[in-house]
Amino acid sequence: MHLGTRIRAVALASAGLFVVAACGGSSGTPSANIAPPDKQILRVNTGVEPNSFDPTQETYTYEAAVGRNTFQSLLQPKADLSDVQPAAAKSYDVSSDGLTYTFHLQPNAKWSDGKPVTASDWVYGLQHFLNPALAAGYVDPFFDGTIAGAQNYGNVDVTSASAIDSFLSGLGLSAPDANTFVIKLQHPAAYFKWVMTLWVAVPLRKDVVESAAGGSFPSTDTTKPLAWANNANTIIGNGPFKISEIASKDHVTLVPNTNYWGGTAKLQQIIYYYISDGNTEFSKYQTGALDIANVPLADVTVVRGDPVLSKQAYLYPQLTGFWMDFNSKEPPFDNPKVRLAFAKSIDRDKLANDVQHGTAKGLSSFIPNGMAGYDNSDNTQSFDPAAAKALLSSAGVTADQLNKFKLLTRNSTGSKTLNQFIADQWNTNLGLNIQLDVIDSKTVTSRIRKGNFDIYGPSGWGADYPDQQDWMDIWFAGSCHSLNFGCPTLAGYDALVQKADSELNQSQRNADYLTAQKMLIDQAAGAFLYQPYEYDLVAPYVKITHTAFDDQFAPGDQNYFSAYITTH
Amino acid sequence: MAVIAGRPKGGALLPARLSALSSSRGGSLTIFIIRRLLWMIPVVFFVILITFFLMHLAPGSPWDRTGGRQLSAAVTHNLDIKYGLDKPEYQQFFIYLGNIFHFDFGLSYQYENKTVTSLIGEGWPYTATLGGLAFLLFVPVGIGLGVLAALRQNTRVDYVTMGFATLAASFPNFVVGALMVVVFSVLMSKWTQHAFFLPSADFGLDDHLIMPVITLALLPIAYTARLTRASTLDTIRQDFIRTAWAKGLSERLVVVKHVLKNSLIPVVTTLGPTFAILVTGSVIVETVFNIPGIGRAFVVAVTSRDYPMILGTTVLFSVVIAIANLIVDVAYVFIDPRVRLS
Repeated sequence: MHLGTRIRAVALASAGLFVVAACGGSSGTPSANIAPPDKQILRVNTGVEPNSFDPTQETYTYEAAVGRNTFQSLLQPKADLSDVQPAAAKSYDVSSDGLTYTFHLQPNAKWSDGKPVTASDWVYGLQHFLNPALAAGYVDPFFDGTIAGAQNYGNVDVTSASAIDSFLSGLGLSAPDANTFVIKLQHPAAYFKWVMTLWVAVPLRKDVVESAAGGSFPSTDTTKPLAWANNANTIIGNGPFKISEIASKDHVTLVPNTNYWGGTAKLQQIIYYYISDGNTEFSKYQTGALDIANVPLADVTVVRGDPVLSKQAYLYPQLTGFWMDFNSKEPPFDNPKVRLAFAKSIDRDKLANDVQHGTAKGLSSFIPNGMAGYDNSDNTQSFDPAAAKALLSSAGVTADQLNKFKLLTRNSTGSKTLNQFIADQWNTNLGLNIQLDVIDSKTVTSRIRKGNFDIYGPSGWGADYPDQQDWMDIWFAGSCHSLNFGCPTLAGYDALVQKADSELNQSQRNADYLTAQKMLIDQAAGAFLYQPYEYDLVAPYVKITHTAFDDQFAPGDQNYFSAYITTH
Repeated sequence: MAVIAGRPKGGALLPARLSALSSSRGGSLTIFIIRRLLWMIPVVFFVILITFFLMHLAPGSPWDRTGGRQLSAAVTHNLDIKYGLDKPEYQQFFIYLGNIFHFDFGLSYQYENKTVTSLIGEGWPYTATLGGLAFLLFVPVGIGLGVLAALRQNTRVDYVTMGFATLAASFPNFVVGALMVVVFSVLMSKWTQHAFFLPSADFGLDDHLIMPVITLALLPIAYTARLTRASTLDTIRQDFIRTAWAKGLSERLVVVKHVLKNSLIPVVTTLGPTFAILVTGSVIVETVFNIPGIGRAFVVAVTSRDYPMILGTTVLFSVVIAIANLIVDVAYVFIDPRVRLS
């Protein structure tokens, strides 16, 4: 079954290193062969229905794909990922102590119903997002770790309206005038500009939320504040598109927001289907019922060999990395030498070619290629079976001791295939006999959260934004069992990363993060494996600005505003 | 004994009393049906009881994530409060029971602010239409093939029919569905330049239904054909059939009036459960053809530990199965004169 297999790692958002090309071999000027308005329809598959159309409640890429088009954040990543650029904010200033961010809003910004977007809408939107009673998935650690007052997020009594109200009014959010939105921070955080590119930090209209709720409500209420997002008529956003139709379990349709400050999009409709089965998605593309589709792993070689399809296929790297976790609380995996021996006995090129059919690249460091902090100079974890064996014997660990350990594996085709390959590598290269322990996904999660495993994988992370901070805090000792399932002891790591997080001098930050990453690699916090590539089909008549890394979910979806369909 | 008008004393409506009542009056059909409907209350109660505690026993929490960072303890605690999971399980159980009496089946954990009732209301019409059509297809085809094979036993017709039934029963749904999509949607459209092809997925009350209905009906057709053949062969050899032939009745009359009426009794027994299975949805067919039904929703609810959705769909399934079985039992009365309701 392929239920939910297209749920990729959480929030692979983010922007691109270099613009590759407009897809589909363009010819002529954009306006010359543009299809008439009734043909300006783009049909894409998100695989799963978003849990909400309220962007603040969205966590996964397939949800944010809709949220980002209907609501706009203050900033967005530049195409080359070097910095942020204006979006809903025309510009922003940072105080010299790095604690106060002042955003100057686009003066002509309007909601999809034509009313002006004001700074108080931004305050309301962030207060809605940060209401602890609503327990939004993306507050921690991005916002409760940065915004002044939000550090108490986890300690608020959510059954007390006065406790919530005083927490929300104590947050460092203010609107000195209609066009100025000010955020105060707990500590200097050079990465905060990136936090403000996330799809969850958006404005909301108090009058819309309250009228959909049937009047004002206490802040302890967990359903009324979300009622507006269930009905297309009350989903009023500030983004380039708005939702025109919600067909539950089937699709959602977006149409241009004619009040968008940046103009009106060329696409007259974007239809996001929820097709969970990858093969069904692929066959729908082949019959012309989808314009953009992901190629299932089993069909990669078919597409490559097909004279027509291969010309419509695009292979581009994702800002994502995968690794294996070792339970470092228990011997012998508490010994970094043992972990490193396992890391050094995996042939990552073979993995990328044989298991992933070339839709991945071996990665023996932590941060993936294409964003700040990528370091391929450290080859400590590189494939070297002889050195790996030597490490094991110097650690004084025998095969008999290791053979009792199991590789905990989720019961999905992808996980089973990958882990079988990895166990084979260890068994061949280290002379071991490690077996898989395949069980259902929820049980696996509950076990790794309690540290109840020997070896687990693959763990993965996709960049929310191209700043190292988004990656390095995974390995904090305090985040043990959140995504850092192995919980290795890394002396001095937390202090070094926290220093870099608050550092305002960018070159010093980079140097500190690099040192910290070296600790992860050298002590084999995880056995870093590979960076996945996206292999997608785009119909030749779809013109999108496809920037490498710049896709949250489907090719070009950061730029649907400028996308269009040619005559065909 | 003092009895308050219009308010029967405790136990007055219990099935045992009704049963006594019905037998004393010769067992009317209406009372039988009422009795069986009332029996559904304890049945559904025990279904809820068992499902409730089994699903809480299953490892993993609804807030555990498959990928990425796990939610912090503070957030999961607030989510527990939001959905009432902070209370002890027995309390949650009684709160749930209380809510059901107001037809409040709770909020789904997977979709913000969506009630289980609305999710089932959205999905079940698709599933039921699909299952209903598959039922209408498989009953005549399955029975027809079975009778045909039995009447032409050990001829080419028999071998072809039973060969087909064996194949249809051996191929899993997901293979049949995927093969049909590849052949009829993808390859056909390429070869015939879209002159003839079937749509590969989605739900619509049109040619979108053809492939999923066939895929869904294939296994019941095979099963029913084999069952009908066996039971028809059994009947054909009975003395009263020989008598019917000896009387000089036409084949048509012998088959329809004497053979079928007897050979269909075991087949009718299976129709109830099969109908219930069909209209409660097939996760495979709904996934392959991307139909937004509740068969898939149920499996997704189980794998994501969406407790209210699991309970809601289970209650629906148990009610449908109970009603389908009731209809079969009532049907016996008309088919088999030996059946007495009391």
